[in-house]
Amino acid sequence: MSFPIIPHETNLVSINVGGRIFQTTKQTLTLAGTDSLFSRLATDSTSTRFLDRDPDLFSVLLYILRTGNLPARSSSFHVRDLIEESRYYGIESFLIDSLSNSSQFEAFDLRKSRILTLNGRDSPSTISPTVNGGGGLHVAHGSKITSFDWSLRRKSTVLTNFSAVDSLLEISPGVLAAGATDFPGLQIIDLENGGFVRTTLNWENPTRSSSTVQAIGSSSHFLFTSFESSRRNSNSIMVYDLSSLMPVSEIDHCGIYGSDIDSAIPSTKLRWIQSCNLLMVSGSHSSPSGVNGHIRFWDVRSRTMVWEIKETQDCFSDVTVSDNLSAVFKVGVTSGEVFYTDLRRLGSEDPWICLGEEKKRSLKDRREGVGCKIESYGNHVFCSKGNGIELWSEVITGLIGNASRDVSEERVFRKNSFGKSADSGEIKITGLAFGGNRMFVTRKDQQSIEVWQSPSRGVSI
Amino acid sequence: MVSDNGDRVKLNVGGEIFETNASTIQSTCPDSLLAALSNPTSHGSIPVFIDRDPEIFSVILNLLRTRTLPATSSGVFSKQELLDEALYYGVESLLRSAMLPPPLLGFDASLVSTITPAADGIPSAFTATAGDSSLWIAHGGQISVYDWSLSHSGTVRTHLNDITSICRVWDEAAAIGSGSASGLHFYDLSGGRYVGSTHWTDPEDPRIHKARVAAVADSTSGVFASFECLHRENSVLQIDKSTLQVAAVIGQQPGSSAKTTVPEKLRFVPTNGLLIGSAVQRGVFGCSGYIRIWDPRSSNIVWETNEPGSGRSSRFGDSLADMDVDVEDSILFKVCSKSGDLGMADLRKLGEDPWVYMSDENPGAWKSGDDGGYSVVHCYRKQVLAARGGALEVWSSVKEKTIGDQIRSESLYRRNFVDKEEDSERGMISKIEAGGDRLFVSREFMEGVEVWESSNFSGIISVE
Repeated sequence: MSFPIIPHETNLVSINVGGRIFQTTKQTLTLAGTDSLFSRLATDSTSTRFLDRDPDLFSVLLYILRTGNLPARSSSFHVRDLIEESRYYGIESFLIDSLSNSSQFEAFDLRKSRILTLNGRDSPSTISPTVNGGGGLHVAHGSKITSFDWSLRRKSTVLTNFSAVDSLLEISPGVLAAGATDFPGLQIIDLENGGFVRTTLNWENPTRSSSTVQAIGSSSHFLFTSFESSRRNSNSIMVYDLSSLMPVSEIDHCGIYGSDIDSAIPSTKLRWIQSCNLLMVSGSHSSPSGVNGHIRFWDVRSRTMVWEIKETQDCFSDVTVSDNLSAVFKVGVTSGEVFYTDLRRLGSEDPWICLGEEKKRSLKDRREGVGCKIESYGNHVFCSKGNGIELWSEVITGLIGNASRDVSEERVFRKNSFGKSADSGEIKITGLAFGGNRMFVTRKDQQSIEVWQSPSRGVSI
Repeated sequence: MVSDNGDRVKLNVGGEIFETNASTIQSTCPDSLLAALSNPTSHGSIPVFIDRDPEIFSVILNLLRTRTLPATSSGVFSKQELLDEALYYGVESLLRSAMLPPPLLGFDASLVSTITPAADGIPSAFTATAGDSSLWIAHGGQISVYDWSLSHSGTVRTHLNDITSICRVWDEAAAIGSGSASGLHFYDLSGGRYVGSTHWTDPEDPRIHKARVAAVADSTSGVFASFECLHRENSVLQIDKSTLQVAAVIGQQPGSSAKTTVPEKLRFVPTNGLLIGSAVQRGVFGCSGYIRIWDPRSSNIVWETNEPGSGRSSRFGDSLADMDVDVEDSILFKVCSKSGDLGMADLRKLGEDPWVYMSDENPGAWKSGDDGGYSVVHCYRKQVLAARGGALEVWSSVKEKTIGDQIRSESLYRRNFVDKEEDSERGMISKIEAGGDRLFVSREFMEGVEVWESSNFSGIISVE
């Protein structure tokens, strides 16, 4: 076997992989990035480049480098082999991009395509997508955390100190922050090390009792944790540096003084709003007289509260914020309807604009929205009601106001029926999460996670 | 991996040319046929011709390159094909390490297969603890041997009609006992040959005859077997492995009460040379039984506990259901019959009340219904597997925790279910044993032995 001789073409590179000759250009090889084996092949000056690897798998990876897509013939390979081989060459990110990119998320074309099963008898208590955005998932079930990689083919399980994990967030690749409402402290768990607890963070509260974790959130620099003292009379949100995990500041400290119980409702959801540099915190409390709650917006650096929505009538059952849509969305606990308020117009008296039937708001003694979840992903808002999911999407209808200065779109939100009715199932939805081109759904007492995604175009492996 | 020409080897397998580095082959399996054929100096520039299938060779070559089996191959080639081909090229050990399951984590294991012998499929006893990942199943009067890949490698018919205890005493030899016939019998399973028998007799006491074997344990110094006569007189015998003669009679007792019944579980601890036996009787009013430790060199009882009854430790109405020993860490485990709590005792510090109890912090999750109580306990690599009725649970220790620079050893154990609810409905678990990172479970009146493994791959079901 001899290399074909091509004169005056120094750009061409011939590579012998396991006995088969491949020819490509230096440009193609350098596309793979400086860390990968491909770019080292491009810069290598020796005339014969030989790799002792499988030629068939190499041809698929070279195809991906050339076109950015998977060739149709790759369906004859097991995706695990392609992943292992791409790791060897250092181009796994190309494979992730061609298979599970968040740009491929198509909200109107989601179907229940896969079910991830969990071992044991515990159903998922909370799920958290991986930080790299490739569509992997961490699932807390009972005292265990099972992590699925972006391909959902590989998994690993670690055992924690908690009897049940209630809050879970991946703060950097392979590092999880986990907390529980019945076990003190926020634990930073190293997955690479088989679930080794790197450190435990605690809130030094005034009553000198231990503190439990109610919610975890993060921005690109900070880790936020909502703590409640175990006597349940004071709570606070601690701000930690995301890399060093050292405490930076403490915000939103509340305590019960006297009989005003509403003064110390702990925050159970923390969301960072990147575009405004604000932290949204929310919490609610159900009592015989109704459900009360708060949604507060904090400027973390100056430790000032920018705005607060006090929820007394039709308090939220769940609330979320969308950077893309510049809006806060809630689902009302009484009406079960979705509401939104524009982030650019904070401060009005009754901020909520109802997206559904307004009249349901005044219905007393109804609890249509109990247990509903609301999450936003991309330009869409997903709201679970019972066993079904509603998809709300924005429609721009025109421009209002002075076109020269304060241009703002007039927009409406429209509800879409979601998925095939056969997919919706009969069991109540307990959790929603999004990552890559996937939506993850957990249901009550099911030891499995549904994966919803659009049918992959062209190639399926 | 980019290398010069000198190290490279070309192989012509069935007409297809493969090229690899000689070091790839030499470093992974230097003594194989493949290594001999691929010596770059011996054949000049003409590729060596091997008259085998090229497609299956590409799998073998990838196994040498990556030390893992390509996932694609499992759908294309059968396990037996791969084994045959690996045997031909002499790379069986590499295939074996690539095919064996990852470390067993009881809290993350799933049922991968059920091994059912062809005839008399209900296993009466099995053993898997020899360390070479093989499984021996006694069913009816037969013993079926399954190798590390769990493929059937042979069945031996014994003279017994049923085998209730089996223990591996040499690489290929089993000591077997029956609940319906007297004596401990030795069989060479590779040749299918009867080796010999040992009976418990006493020339001075004519009542000692027709003793049947209740439990067997192996050690380097001999085989220990507990024998019970028809009138319940019982004892543990130490049997010399070379002569198959009784070397010592340990702890002879009348068997007239719960405290003196025959030990139905025997464990030998090699680190300190102690023999541990236990017996539990299950009655209407709960369990009663004992754990006893002998020093076989002196035949003395070193330590014992009777439940209910002796010691301050006995928890009222919550006596032991079964025990097992973590041989590596010298820890004795028992499971309480009623609460399901796990009791641990350090074998090096046994005293009046050595037990440290672990209970689940979330007892609401555990139904304490009347489902037969705990029956079987088995230790494997710092995990304690316990069967309660048809359900399978595991106690696993949580990783050590760092506080500052000090490493504090937190012996915190957590209880989890191994199985799912529908698994437990298949029947009462009669025996659990783990070996070679596999967990084997047999159920009463059910054919076959279940194989549970941990996996790095997710259980993904496509519903499109």
